[in-house]
Amino acid sequence: MSLPPTSVLIQVAIGGLLTGGVYALLVSGLTLIFGVMRVINIAHGAFLVLSAYLAYWLFTLLGMDPIVSIAVLAPLFFVFGVLVQRYLIARVRQEPGLLVLVTFALAITLEGVMGSLWRTTGRSVRTAYTGEVVPLALGDLTVRLPIVQLVGFAAAVIALGVLYLLLTRSDLGRAIRATIQNPDAAQLVGVNVALVRALTFGAALASVAAGGAVFSLIWTFNASSHEAWISKMLSIVVLGGMGSLPGALVGALIIGVAEAVAAVTITTYLSPIVSYLILFFILVFRPQGLLGSRIREA
Amino acid sequence: MLPHLTRRWPVYAVLALLAYPWIWRAPYFHLLGFDTLLGATMAVSWNIMGGYTGYKSLGHSAFFGLGAYLVAIAANRWGWNPLWSAPLLALVVVAVALLLGWIMLRTTGSAFVIATIALLLIFRLLALNLRGITGGAPGLSQPLPPWSPEFSRLPFFYYMLIWTLVAVAVSAFIVRSRFGLGLLAIRDDEGKAEMVGVNTTLYKVLAFGLSAYFVGLGGGIWSYFQTHISPVFAFDLRIGVDMILMTMLGGLGTVWGPVLGAFILIPARDFILFRFGATQIHLAISGALMLAIILFLPRGILPTLQEWLERRRAPASAFVGARLMTELQDESAATASTPAGDPHSRVRPAPR
Repeated sequence: MSLPPTSVLIQVAIGGLLTGGVYALLVSGLTLIFGVMRVINIAHGAFLVLSAYLAYWLFTLLGMDPIVSIAVLAPLFFVFGVLVQRYLIARVRQEPGLLVLVTFALAITLEGVMGSLWRTTGRSVRTAYTGEVVPLALGDLTVRLPIVQLVGFAAAVIALGVLYLLLTRSDLGRAIRATIQNPDAAQLVGVNVALVRALTFGAALASVAAGGAVFSLIWTFNASSHEAWISKMLSIVVLGGMGSLPGALVGALIIGVAEAVAAVTITTYLSPIVSYLILFFILVFRPQGLLGSRIREA
Repeated sequence: MLPHLTRRWPVYAVLALLAYPWIWRAPYFHLLGFDTLLGATMAVSWNIMGGYTGYKSLGHSAFFGLGAYLVAIAANRWGWNPLWSAPLLALVVVAVALLLGWIMLRTTGSAFVIATIALLLIFRLLALNLRGITGGAPGLSQPLPPWSPEFSRLPFFYYMLIWTLVAVAVSAFIVRSRFGLGLLAIRDDEGKAEMVGVNTTLYKVLAFGLSAYFVGLGGGIWSYFQTHISPVFAFDLRIGVDMILMTMLGGLGTVWGPVLGAFILIPARDFILFRFGATQIHLAISGALMLAIILFLPRGILPTLQEWLERRRAPASAFVGARLMTELQDESAATASTPAGDPHSRVRPAPR
């Protein structure tokens, strides 16, 4: 394999960072759910694709820009998340193997429903600014940045900022962090852990709804896309440390850049294997990831 | 109930299965029978790890695909007949599973489950990309069986039946053995099992390897049956999910549960496919069914049925103490975190 010129690598790396920012938004809910209730939500990718579909239809039928549609989708998914947690997740025996199966079953149910409602044709939102690029001069090098990537990145930063403020500045955020640290102790000092879990699931799905809207701008999807995406999202979360939000951010940026660079240095076909291998070996040899604490499960 | 009838039912069941292809002669029924037996064999195998030991692998399709590819490659390159090469090459699958198990079984809980998914994805990607060996995305073809096509499914049906019975016998033997007792102890409490002297790592790795055997074998026979295999179908996540679904429906950790699950699920799904066509609806129905089983029948049909029969028999006892005991046991079963009807089945579920 021969290394492409530096200018290409810089271009690719900056593109990878922008993508990584969006990845961080996509996985924030996944890591939050794991942190609070030790559930690995395999359905996260399916929720992502569902939100992307809804954003697509809002755009196609009502001409609503996907970024604007976040205002509609996030509250909707919040309610959806609370209901799923209350009536599904909370009703199952709290055992890791079983909980994973529940979310997996939810994922294929959603895939089946989406697949029968909509065609298998790849969908993607094409706005007026799709395909436009912004040139950015770095010394004698000009980097061309696609507008959708920039818009997606900006939306991801804002959404993550809101999530961060929610976690650090509100009572609910304090309750969530307390539950992550120690659910029993949180319950003892008066946190309604059951409620916190339901609200966290809602907040996580609201974040993935925002992610899905951004996703529909940048990537093409159909009902079965969620399988490839959940594995990528899991690699990111596992790399950063399951349950850790800063870890998810770091993991997202690393995977975003690594993937972009791998695509131009190794073959595009084999490049996903990088994230699968990361996933496998981190799970086996460093299950706490880069920034997480060791996973404790009942 | 007639005691000799209840004890001898496996014999009658086998006789019924031997007669089945001659009663329903249409090729469709032979295909359905083969699919059901294949599913049953693999579910029984998965149950050794997922049911007895409590480590639920979502990636057993990796071993299915590996078995399928090994058989196809051996048939093409060296002209090995799949009927004898499948059970032989499944040993290679076991060797791979032992090695991977030795690496992977450092993890527990959700980390193990995700690692198994990652494993499957790695295998599928390799099958897609190692074109020189696997033929890439288009896949591999292999020689057709020598017997005539209109009759072709019959030998497969009987051959699969033999392996289903072997798998059940192995599973029944394991659960009655010291080794099986160790596995059940790991499922109930790994820490305590370790403390009382079970070499948990060794036991888990061995169970993982064993549970790959009949899955790899099933893959090999399936590969011959299909004559053409490709990565997307051989390394399909859903094959592994089916094993879980069948086992959970029939009864996790029981000898006959996975078989019962297969005999209900596969004909039922065939009916759904027939009724709604090969659309995505059947995927949604599979998912919804899985949710329903986990929510409403978490222990599966056999253990639930067994408990119900025992409860019906219990009030007949003249002793107040005996009735009190059943109630106490019910209470402890309701609060216990392990699937258990009575304290004995917790250690050693009575095989039905």
